[in-house]
Amino acid sequence: MFFYYLDLAWRSIKKTPFLSLLMVLAISIGIGITITTLNVYQLMSENPAGDRSDNLIAVQLWSQDKDAWKEFNAQLTYQDAYNLRKSDVPTRQTAMFVTGLAVQTEDPDFVPLLESVRVTDSDFFNMFSVPFIYGKAWDKSVDTEAVYQVVINEALNQQLFAGEDSIGKTLYLDSKPYQIVGVTKTWSPSPLYYDITTGAFKDSAQIFVPFSLAPIEEFQSWGNNQSWKRQSINSYSERLSSEMHWIQYWVEVQDDTQRDEYAQWLKRYVEQQQLLGRFDSPEAAAKLSNVEQWLEINEVVPEDNKILVGLSGLFLLVCLVNMLGLLLAKFLKRAPEVGVRRAIGASRAQIFFQHMVEVGLIGFGGGLLGLLWAWGSLSMLSAHFDLEDALTQLDLTMWVLAPTIAIAAALIAGVYPAWRICSTNPSVHLKSQ
Amino acid sequence: MLSMKNISKVFQTDLVETHALRDFNLEVQEGEFVAVTGPSGSGKTTFLNIAGLLEGFTHGDYFLDGVNISNLNDNKSATIRNEKIGFIFQGFNLIPDLNLAENVEVPLRYRGFNAAERKRRVQHALEQVGLAARMKHLPSQLSGGQQQRVAIARALAGEPRFLLADEPTGNLDSMMARQVMELLENINKAGTTIIMVTHDAELARRAQRNIQIVDGQVCDFTMYQGGARQQGMGTKADKPHLVTDADKPSDESEQAQTEQAAS
Repeated sequence: MFFYYLDLAWRSIKKTPFLSLLMVLAISIGIGITITTLNVYQLMSENPAGDRSDNLIAVQLWSQDKDAWKEFNAQLTYQDAYNLRKSDVPTRQTAMFVTGLAVQTEDPDFVPLLESVRVTDSDFFNMFSVPFIYGKAWDKSVDTEAVYQVVINEALNQQLFAGEDSIGKTLYLDSKPYQIVGVTKTWSPSPLYYDITTGAFKDSAQIFVPFSLAPIEEFQSWGNNQSWKRQSINSYSERLSSEMHWIQYWVEVQDDTQRDEYAQWLKRYVEQQQLLGRFDSPEAAAKLSNVEQWLEINEVVPEDNKILVGLSGLFLLVCLVNMLGLLLAKFLKRAPEVGVRRAIGASRAQIFFQHMVEVGLIGFGGGLLGLLWAWGSLSMLSAHFDLEDALTQLDLTMWVLAPTIAIAAALIAGVYPAWRICSTNPSVHLKSQ
Repeated sequence: MLSMKNISKVFQTDLVETHALRDFNLEVQEGEFVAVTGPSGSGKTTFLNIAGLLEGFTHGDYFLDGVNISNLNDNKSATIRNEKIGFIFQGFNLIPDLNLAENVEVPLRYRGFNAAERKRRVQHALEQVGLAARMKHLPSQLSGGQQQRVAIARALAGEPRFLLADEPTGNLDSMMARQVMELLENINKAGTTIIMVTHDAELARRAQRNIQIVDGQVCDFTMYQGGARQQGMGTKADKPHLVTDADKPSDESEQAQTEQAAS
C-alpha cells in the first residue's frame, strides 16, 4: 500500500502545485537555516581525534604565582616543556609551537614563500596519526640531537617539486638547508585541536621542523605568547628561561593507569619546582585533559553558536506551524474524497497513513530544497564573511540529516491535519458531494 | 441478512435533541430488493448510513450477516464495508483524479488483492456495466448515467453481499434512470441484496418490497408490493401505519408471496 499512497501523494501534489510548493518552501527555509547552523555547530564541535580522544592528553600547569592568573593557561613555558620532555612515563609526547620561515628551493628562479611552520617533536606525527605519502618523520634521536630535517605536506610538495618523491632533497628555510625526510598527505583536522590558541579552525601547517632546533635557530613564536610576570626579555635565551607561556604540550597514554602514573609524575614535578622557588601558589598543579575535555575547556564551540542552533530550531518550528495550517486547508478540502474512500472500505488508519505519506513526501522535497538553501547560505557566508573553509563545507552527514529532519518535522506537523481528515464523518460528505 | 431491532439515533446539540430514528425495526432477507421511501428529513439517509456502518447508533441492536455491529471498532467496520457492502450514491462520488479503472480498483486496493486479481475484477466489473472500453477515461469525460454505472461497477468489484443505493437515479434523466434501474435489477437477480433509498415512486414500485420511513420509524411495510397490488392485496399499504409484529408476515406467507411476485 505504501507505493499506492506514494502515487496518490504525487498526484495530490501535482493537483495543487502552488499550495504544495508553498509547503515545500516553508519547510525548506526552516530546514535550510537549521542545517546551516547545525552544520557550523557540528563542524565546530566534532572530535577529530575519534577513538584516540582518550589517549591524547593536553598538559597544563598552574605555574603562575598567587595573585596572578586564576586559571590554567593553555600553554606551557619553554623551561617546563623542556623538563616535561624528559619524562619516560607517556608512550609518546611532543612540545610544539608555530613559527614562520621563508621557504626557498635550490631553483634560483623560485620566488621565496613565507610559510607558517610547526616546530615539534618526532612523536607528533604518530600521536596525531599524520599520514605520509613519502618517507616518514625524522628519527627520535633528532629530538635531542638537532638535525636540519623537515617534513612538508602534499600541497607544498606539489608546489615545489611537482608532486614527485622529494625525500632527500633540500629545502631552504630562512636560508638554512633542511633535508626533506617526509611528505605528509593532505591532513588538516578540524578543529585543529592540538593548537587552538590562535583559532581552532585554521589549516594545519605545511612544514614541520624539529623542536630541538628552536634554541639554535631561535624560531620566533607566531602563536600566542602570554606571561603572568613582567620580565625584561632581550634575547632568545632569556625568552627560553622566562615565565612566558607559548608552548603547546601533548602526551599519549595507553590507558587510565598510565594517565594516573603520569599525573603522579607531574605532581612530583610541581613539588620539585616549588622547592626551586617556582609555582608559588597554593593552587599550583598539573591538569590533564583528553581531546574532548580539551575542546570543551577551550570553548571551541562558543555559547552563541548553541543559542543560534536553538533559534534556528525555533524558526523551523514557526515554519512547521505555517505548514500545519496549509496542510489542514489542503486535507480538509479533500474531505469528500476521503468520505468515499472510507465508505468503500478504507479504515481511519489507512486514511491517516495515506496522508502521512503525502506529508512525508512534501517533507522530503523540503529537505532537498533545504539542503540547497544551506549550501547557498554557507557559500554566501564563506564569500562575504571570510570564514574558515572548514566551517563552510556542507558536511556529508547533513546530506542525510537534512531530509531526515525535514521528513520527521513534516510528519510531526502533519499528524494533526491527517488525524482531522481521517476522523471526519464520511456520511456528511457523501451526501453533499 | 440485515436485522435492526429498536434502533434509535439521536443527534444532540446544546439546545436541541433530534431523533433521526426511533425504535427502528427492519429485517432484510438475502436476495431482496428493498426500496426505502419517505419524505425529506424522515431518516432515510440516517438509516442507510447506519446500515452501511458509516454512522453509529444510539440504542438498539444491528446484526449484519450474523455479526453484531454494535461494538465493532473502526478497522472491523471498514473491513465489513469493504467486503460485504457496496455503496451507490446520488452524486456518483467517483474520485475525479482517477480514471475509471483506478476508481473501480480503490476498494480492491484496501482489500489487499494483488495486481492481477485487481485487474481481473476491474475488467469484469466494467464489462458488467458496459464500460470496459473506456476504463482509461476520467469521470469528467462521461455522462451522468455512465458515471453512475462506473459507481455501480466500483460497488460490484468487491462482490459484496448487498448494495446500499442512496437515490441512485436522483441526478439522472428518465432514460438514464431506467437504464441504471435495469442494471440494479439484474444485479439483484444475480443474488445481491439491494436496499435503495429513493424519492421516485415509480422506481420504488419496481422493488420487491417497499419500506416507508416517517419521523424516523418504519411506517409502511408493504411486502412484495408490485405483485400484491396487481392482485388487489395491498389494502394496508393505502393507509400508512407503524409496523407491529402482527403486521410482519410469517415465513410461510412470505414464501407464498415471493412465489406470487416471481410469477
